[in-house]
Amino acid sequence: MLKKQFFTGLVLGFLSLFSEALFAGQDDVWLTLQKASQAARELSYKGVFVYQSGNASKSVQLTHMNYGQGEYARMVVLDGAPREVLSQGSDVVIFSPKNEKIMIEKKRGQNMFPALLPSNMDALKASYLAQAGGTERIGGRDATVVSLSPKDQMRYGYKFWVDKEFGLLLKAVTLGEHGDALEQIGFSQLTLMDGQNMDWFKPKFDPSKSYVMDQDGPAKANSADMDWDVAQLPAGYRKVDQVKQLVQGKGLPVTQMIFSDGLASISIFIEPLAKGVRPKVGHTIVGATNFFALVHEGHQVMVIGEVPEAAVTQFGNAVSFKVKK
Amino acid sequence: MKEQISALMDDDLALEDAEYLMTALKANGEAAKSWATYHLIGDVIRGNKILRHDMTASIMQEIAKQPTVLAPKSRLAKNKQVVWSVAASVAAVFFVGLVLLHQQSQEASVAPIEIAQAVPAEYLRAHQSMSPSNAAYFIQPAAFSQDK
Repeated sequence: MLKKQFFTGLVLGFLSLFSEALFAGQDDVWLTLQKASQAARELSYKGVFVYQSGNASKSVQLTHMNYGQGEYARMVVLDGAPREVLSQGSDVVIFSPKNEKIMIEKKRGQNMFPALLPSNMDALKASYLAQAGGTERIGGRDATVVSLSPKDQMRYGYKFWVDKEFGLLLKAVTLGEHGDALEQIGFSQLTLMDGQNMDWFKPKFDPSKSYVMDQDGPAKANSADMDWDVAQLPAGYRKVDQVKQLVQGKGLPVTQMIFSDGLASISIFIEPLAKGVRPKVGHTIVGATNFFALVHEGHQVMVIGEVPEAAVTQFGNAVSFKVKK
Repeated sequence: MKEQISALMDDDLALEDAEYLMTALKANGEAAKSWATYHLIGDVIRGNKILRHDMTASIMQEIAKQPTVLAPKSRLAKNKQVVWSVAASVAAVFFVGLVLLHQQSQEASVAPIEIAQAVPAEYLRAHQSMSPSNAAYFIQPAAFSQDK
């Protein structure tokens, strides 16, 4: 009897020691990511990064400056269709030539590379396990490797490379369920910037062309206006936004809810089925993006996200319409 | 003449202005045939499975298929009623059938489509533009990479 208790105690003792060691390790790793999130926003740097999804790959020139007066950034897409993104704080303007005109689109800021990580790590801690994975060289710089593995099937895994000296995120890879790289983005060249010269902060397009503002932006939707909701959100996800917007080729505005766990994001679109329109059903995957469509109470439900199939399916099936009062 | 018949069918020609056409339709075999043919073409274009051209004939055929009731002469009056009611119910069933068939064919034309065959780029773009961490939208948004 005593012997048994002794053994139980011993096992428990080892377990707690082990988990403490694991926990301490985890804390360090999370701290690395936390620093990377800050560094991306606070430092001034310029370089070229490559974005790769499926077979498509594009190089982008990036300049980012922050001298205490807020963030300024400019991204120039170097391959394929010309495109420029200028951002100041959380205001983002996208310039893209279309035919003989330059389209201008204004929007609120997102987490742009290398500021992909959220500033608060708590949400991620609930959904992912962090693990340090040695040192590798990226874009001529030494980086600490950090892996985030999902705790369930509701999200992909990620691998991050963080600059040892500057703490900046150098590369990020989205990993599929079988550990295959679905999407990756990383610097091929990076230098820190000095000086406060702002000459670079302007789009480089032909001034003789006419500019057109894109007016069809999304409008915020009140919860009261939404006649549907997602009954049970998968663990770790929360609603980050809900809008009504005109989707290209649709006469009526479509309602959209956006959910995120801090890294992965999912959109649900719902619209009443128009007469004579063939509803979409089923599942498909393009690159890292999974699609799931179904018809529910005379509505077309469409779920799109950079998440595994299990997640889009669960979100789609959890949609429920509110009872009309 | 044929153009005018066509115009009448499409409501491009007012009925009041087409009195002579109606007379021609009644009198002239060719005009009546064109009338029927144009309706047939219209039905085909609209995808109606039930084509009007031979409907009269098929209804008559259905009625003809019904057994003839033979009965003693003394109860002739009553039997005549039975025959008519049988004919009426056959016609009723036939028309209900027609309506159902028509509805079915309409449903078939809005049958669900597998999403894999029609990946909705417009939704993907809307998703990319709204999600908090999405590199793709700034670099190569869905619609732009496809409308080359």
